[in-house]
Amino acid sequence: MATVAAGPHRGAPGFARRALTSDHLAGWLFVLPAVFLVALFSIFPIIWGFILSMQKASLLSPSRPFVGFDNYTHIANDPLARQAAVNAVYYTCLFVPISIIIALFLAIALNQKIRLIRFYRLAVFIPVAVSTIATGVMFMWVFDANFGLANWALGGVGLGPFGWFDSVSGAMPSLVIMTVWGWLGFDAIIYLAALQGVPHELVEAAAVDGASRWTIFRHVTLPLLGPATLLLVVWSTISAVQLFDEVFFITRGGPLGRTSVPVYYIYRLAFTSSYGFSAAGYAAALAYVLFVVILILTLVQFWLGNRVVHYSS
Amino acid sequence: MRTRKRKRTLVVAALAAIGLVAVACTSSSSDAGSPSGSAGGSGAPIELTMWHGYGKVIDNQGQTNYEAKSLTDLVDEYDAMNTGIHVNLDYIGSNDNALTKLTVALNAGEPPDITYQYGTSMPQLATAPGIVDLTDKVQDPTFNWSDFSQGAQQAATVDGHVYGVPALIDNLAIVYNKDLFQQAGVSPPTANWTWDDFVAAAKALTDPSKQQYGFAFPIDASEDTTWHYDAMLWEGGGDILNADNTQAAFNSDAGVQALTTLQQMAVTDKSVFLDQQNSGKIQQLFNAGNIGMLVTGPWDLSSLPDVNYGVQIMPSYPGGSHATIAGPDMWVMFDNNGHGDAAWQFMQWLTAAQQVKADSMESGHLPIRNSVVDEPGFLKAFDAKFPGEGLFAQNLANVTKARPVITTYDQISRIMAEAIVKVMLGQGDPKTSLDDAANQVNQVLGGG
Repeated sequence: MATVAAGPHRGAPGFARRALTSDHLAGWLFVLPAVFLVALFSIFPIIWGFILSMQKASLLSPSRPFVGFDNYTHIANDPLARQAAVNAVYYTCLFVPISIIIALFLAIALNQKIRLIRFYRLAVFIPVAVSTIATGVMFMWVFDANFGLANWALGGVGLGPFGWFDSVSGAMPSLVIMTVWGWLGFDAIIYLAALQGVPHELVEAAAVDGASRWTIFRHVTLPLLGPATLLLVVWSTISAVQLFDEVFFITRGGPLGRTSVPVYYIYRLAFTSSYGFSAAGYAAALAYVLFVVILILTLVQFWLGNRVVHYSS
Repeated sequence: MRTRKRKRTLVVAALAAIGLVAVACTSSSSDAGSPSGSAGGSGAPIELTMWHGYGKVIDNQGQTNYEAKSLTDLVDEYDAMNTGIHVNLDYIGSNDNALTKLTVALNAGEPPDITYQYGTSMPQLATAPGIVDLTDKVQDPTFNWSDFSQGAQQAATVDGHVYGVPALIDNLAIVYNKDLFQQAGVSPPTANWTWDDFVAAAKALTDPSKQQYGFAFPIDASEDTTWHYDAMLWEGGGDILNADNTQAAFNSDAGVQALTTLQQMAVTDKSVFLDQQNSGKIQQLFNAGNIGMLVTGPWDLSSLPDVNYGVQIMPSYPGGSHATIAGPDMWVMFDNNGHGDAAWQFMQWLTAAQQVKADSMESGHLPIRNSVVDEPGFLKAFDAKFPGEGLFAQNLANVTKARPVITTYDQISRIMAEAIVKVMLGQGDPKTSLDDAANQVNQVLGGG
């Protein structure tokens, strides 16, 4: 029986009194501003976006008739949505494996105690710190079909001029090259940290047992890099499917729609009048479908990953 | 008890922290972003916000931007007149984003009082909440609405209602490099040129070894692509849509003829520099002497200081005309806090003939009022200060048609542009591509 020294003739303190003096309340109050910001900028738009996806809406006019799930069913009949999906798959299937594999070898190279290693690690990470627009400006010059550095250098060894961003079939691969260059450093640093977490005793033990360097790598190091690989695969896939900056700035979905990725298509639907004025609702529906797709992809990757990855305790 | 006292202190501290944050957030949001201040007490001027996209008066390279300077000088002049209205000029970035920025502002409930918008945005803006309907206001005889260029009047009018005051008018003509023509021994464009002459000259001026092209064309599938084609369509006597805007008409013989000309130059002769990014490369290359001819407007002339350029009217097709296309832009007003009348009062002054003339002579803008163009001595003085612009001003007389002022125009533009780009990249033939585009346009027009 609680005997709280709150004064004579009083029972247990009232709810309000308990609430105002509990430990929890102080904690909640300190966290409240952050919760408010998250609710305002994340949760509210998510809910509003879902409502928008059920309307035929223009962001410019207040008339927003309710159309139920029409926007969602229209996605199935929209060849441009299909094109965006195909482009996203194409880009992701190129970007994720290439960036991760190169980053792995880069991390191994950076995991040495040679002179200037700090400089090399910094140099590898700098492209990540450069903004996507600045990278875009640079690559627009490098990949310029007539006056660019790439064609000039390749011409010097006899390789014909490429269209790069101007080429119908080469625009997406050019985007892959540019974005891989921009993100390699991030993946490499993650792998570097993971590599340095590989216990030395295991490697030495394997060497003592007569394993070759390749065998050590394949059977000791690589499995222990599992968690890092899983993280990078999930992260890279999510950001690859959401590609936007480079498409918006350089190719604008072209040429002939070959680089029209989902987020760029959504942007054009909602914020330009190229597809009519009331396409914002449809754009919101597409955004929701994209979210669900990414969510499913992520869950599948985690499920597969957890079956394959060994977590060292 | 000490623990309870400490808890209470913690709670009070937390509440105080939240309170501070709340005050800080709300007070800063009410200071920033409110476009038109209160009408104040007696004596306080009405504050108007005016958005434009001309640039900063002194740009990042230290050069003077005369368009921005002219507008700023005019606003300062108005301010000095102490009319009780004070205009706050705001450079909001490129006009390409003007509509997007306005959309964001409207959704926040804080549109500017006056904003510069592309003429092609007018149909969409007609439905924007708070936009001032000027139909009756412009009938005021002292305003002289009919003095504005015909194409500008058309672009400002949506379904019989006037929603904008013309801010800028221009047109397309040939701008060519006189030196390159001389070096190649090709006779420069004349007022009687046909498109066959143009194609031949472009071919003669193309030299792959020098990275030199006879012509340049933007193929970023934007309105820039479409409107270059529109001029050629009209020069062949064709139209974009039929008379009541219910059916596509650009897949006519005139339309196929125009697109075939472009295909000839781009795919067969390879005499066109195709610009996919459309971010100034064409102008830079022309200025560097790599391009023989451009089809462009007066706005580009100031970017070509290193070239000995000439200006000529557009070529024609046999049986057609030398028609050209204009892109009138508008000042659009919003009635915020009852400031609509003040905005109109300022706008009347800004677009009066005297100010139009001053603006033209300062910025190089073509006069939006015909009376200014016809003023004796104006064309001569104008062309003397802005070489080549005299012809652009005269070319306004060739602006006989306008793009359809309908809400679906941007979709039509996109569909046409995609067809044009497809053909110029060698991925389609003119007739099929235009027919396909016409089908899509008819679907859109039919309410698809």
